[in-house]
Amino acid sequence: MSETRGVRAVVEVLARALTDQPDHVRVTESQYKATTLVELYVAPGDLGKVIGKQGRTAAALRTLASTAGERDGKTVMLEIRDMPYKG
Amino acid sequence: MPDAAQSIVDFLTRLTAALGVNATVNVEETAAGPRINLAGEEAEILVRHRGEPLKALQHVVDMAYGRTLPDDQRVFVDALEYRKGKDAELRQMAKLLAEKVKQTGLDQQLGPLNPYERRIVHLAVAELPGVTTESVGDAFSKTVLISLRK
Repeated sequence: MSETRGVRAVVEVLARALTDQPDHVRVTESQYKATTLVELYVAPGDLGKVIGKQGRTAAALRTLASTAGERDGKTVMLEIRDMPYKG
Repeated sequence: MPDAAQSIVDFLTRLTAALGVNATVNVEETAAGPRINLAGEEAEILVRHRGEPLKALQHVVDMAYGRTLPDDQRVFVDALEYRKGKDAELRQMAKLLAEKVKQTGLDQQLGPLNPYERRIVHLAVAELPGVTTESVGDAFSKTVLISLRK
């Protein structure tokens, strides 16, 4: 695990708890204008775990990612990627 | 502490650290499952926006650790005893309305409630004699009707 604090770290801790393959969890953070873009990559079989029924888990992750951003005055956008993390 | 509860506490400790929130994770083991409360001023961030982040956290904990608990147990996640206070308020309101039903004989109902909240109302009113409860409404907006026991 890289940084231990911040939006990235929060999404990573949450995703690792939810997935069957926590080692395949990758989270990237980038700045786009006033928005912080957080991309979450999980193993293909774990996609359902981070999305959940009716997208409820995805919504929960977005809420908590925003909460994490709130502490640093950031507006956060969380995207869940269904492709393997490259690079 | 049982292993299941310990893993949840470890998870919440990692999460609060990642959030940069200085909080203590307190656990109380009950027959219904572990009740966890995050204490410390900075945990306030979880109760903003009417406790939405706390709701989200409860969902994630249920999804990630719900199955590790015995079948008849559920974990309850709280911060600054926010939900505990809200539940107590609801219980009080339910009992108040039940008393009104007894005095007037007229049915009373609360605003829209989710399943967890309806359960609280049913249990609270069940403690009082002479009144009964029933869930009413469609799938999207249900509430509890309190009436005189016939």
